[in-house]
Amino acid sequence: MLTIENLTKQYGKFLALDHLNLHIDKGEIYGFVGPNGAGKTTTMRIVCGLLKATSGSVTVDGIDAIKQPDDIKRKVGYVPDFFGVYDNLKVMEYMEFYGSMYGMERQEIDDISEGLLELVNLSDKKDAFVDTLSRGMKQRLCVARALIHNPDLLVLDEPNSGLDPRARFEMKEVLKNLRSMGKTILISSHILPELSELCTSVGIMEHGRLVTSGKVDDIIDASQGNQPIHMKVVYAETEEPLNQYVATILKEQPFVEKVSFTDDEVLIHFRGDDLEAARLLNKLFDHHIMVSHYYREKENLESLFLEITGGEENA
Amino acid sequence: MRKRLHMNPIWKKELVVGSRSMKMSWAIMGINAFLTIIVLIVLSITNMSAATSGYRYATLIWLFPILGCIECGLISLIVPVITSGSISGERERQTLDVMLTTPVTTFSIAVGKLGSAMSVVMMYMIASIPVMAIAFVLGGMSWWALLGLFGMLLYLGIYVGSVGVFCSSVVKKSVVSTILTIAIGIGIIIVTTVILYVVIATQSAMCDAKGVAYAGPGAAAFIMMLNPYSPIVDFMMRVMMGTGIDRLMEEMGTKSSIILAISRWWIPCSIVINMIISFIFLKLAARNISVTRNRK
Repeated sequence: MLTIENLTKQYGKFLALDHLNLHIDKGEIYGFVGPNGAGKTTTMRIVCGLLKATSGSVTVDGIDAIKQPDDIKRKVGYVPDFFGVYDNLKVMEYMEFYGSMYGMERQEIDDISEGLLELVNLSDKKDAFVDTLSRGMKQRLCVARALIHNPDLLVLDEPNSGLDPRARFEMKEVLKNLRSMGKTILISSHILPELSELCTSVGIMEHGRLVTSGKVDDIIDASQGNQPIHMKVVYAETEEPLNQYVATILKEQPFVEKVSFTDDEVLIHFRGDDLEAARLLNKLFDHHIMVSHYYREKENLESLFLEITGGEENA
Repeated sequence: MRKRLHMNPIWKKELVVGSRSMKMSWAIMGINAFLTIIVLIVLSITNMSAATSGYRYATLIWLFPILGCIECGLISLIVPVITSGSISGERERQTLDVMLTTPVTTFSIAVGKLGSAMSVVMMYMIASIPVMAIAFVLGGMSWWALLGLFGMLLYLGIYVGSVGVFCSSVVKKSVVSTILTIAIGIGIIIVTTVILYVVIATQSAMCDAKGVAYAGPGAAAFIMMLNPYSPIVDFMMRVMMGTGIDRLMEEMGTKSSIILAISRWWIPCSIVINMIISFIFLKLAARNISVTRNRK
């Protein structure tokens, strides 16, 4: 459905996208993850024909978004991260306005809008003024608007940005409905647990490059073994300060990369598998270090994201 | 198969949104109140002079150019205000991007914005008919003159509106856009007048040096066709005095039959030229909207 090849975008000396390659199959929900300035929005704007690429190609269902930006507009529906409001315009008129932009007839727009407003749970608001809707409702209306021409690809740029938990939940339900309808969606978000729940595939971007991309489970599986170990030491037979002694012992062990201390915990950056982690615990016992708790973090998209991006961004 | 005509969606939307705003009602009331005050002042002056020299209905005919000029002035001020936020407002609201993801062309966006401004102008014109009609009832003007004036106001609105849409596409702030539109309008008036003045002064000085009689600016006078107000001046002259700019040129000494023939068609010639300029402004506005694509 969407194929991006060697996509590059340069703003003066700043390289926003660096030979980006990406492929999204039909019916897939692809989550774009990355810190601010990673190039997610730039990629999305190029896909929607809002921005010209410096080089590379973007094709949506065989249509070149760069060479045929006007043709791509009927293939793509775009939801920006900010919902711009027209004063004095009702929900149904808002839908009619955008439907007429696609050359649709009034009756056709009305019929489709009814269904779309139902999909986004706004049927009871069709006579309400857009500027009176809550932010969550506006964002859902924006999704309905983006679907008015039945696009093949829906591009959502941080649709949950600035929404409260309830509105986020409602948006998630809308997206789940779209997934069940078989829509192809490219979505960026900072709320990673939701992305991992919704998306079939994800891509982590940094500095204009796709650091990793693939099925959510595959990515997490591939990165297993990198999670840190949390440990609490209650006693050690030593005259040295406790932390210093523990750090010295740990650093002598294989697979231990870094040891750091919080108020009551030791955080061990460990590269070994679970068997090696168990061996490490035994070693600590051998050195008469008494541990009250010892557990390894479970890998998820959030921890993976932080690991890959070096914890630059609050995910 | 018949293809159905679709109204420009942006124009349609702006009409819906604009008609719900109280701003338009207040503006119509303000304009009519202003025009009414002018009529009352003229009527009072006529009544006062009637005590000494008798009532002269003929003087009331001057209500026509007075009200016409005031309407031109109001349109020159109101249209920039309406159009100033047309594109910059979309940018400020962050709705332009979504608009640009639809198949509607940037030129259609610019035309839609101009069209909605023209609808407002027409609304003002229609609302002012009762006041304007006083000049026709009391002054004895023909309805064709009133229709002609409305045509002129519409033309002026298109010209000023296209400049406004262009300025709105160039600058980010609506206030700056309004000022820029008015400045461009005043600039064109000043520049064309100054150029003509310099030409006349130079030609006159050369004639004096040669010791021959000055025979008018000739074709150089056509620079004034670029002045959007010149066809309105010609129209007013024809309605009030029965002669236009051609007579003025003849009196200044122009003898060339071609130049005089063209100047007799001053109104259509100037309007065509200024409508071409308006079209260029709209095309430039459309190009500026497209440039958004290259911004981050």
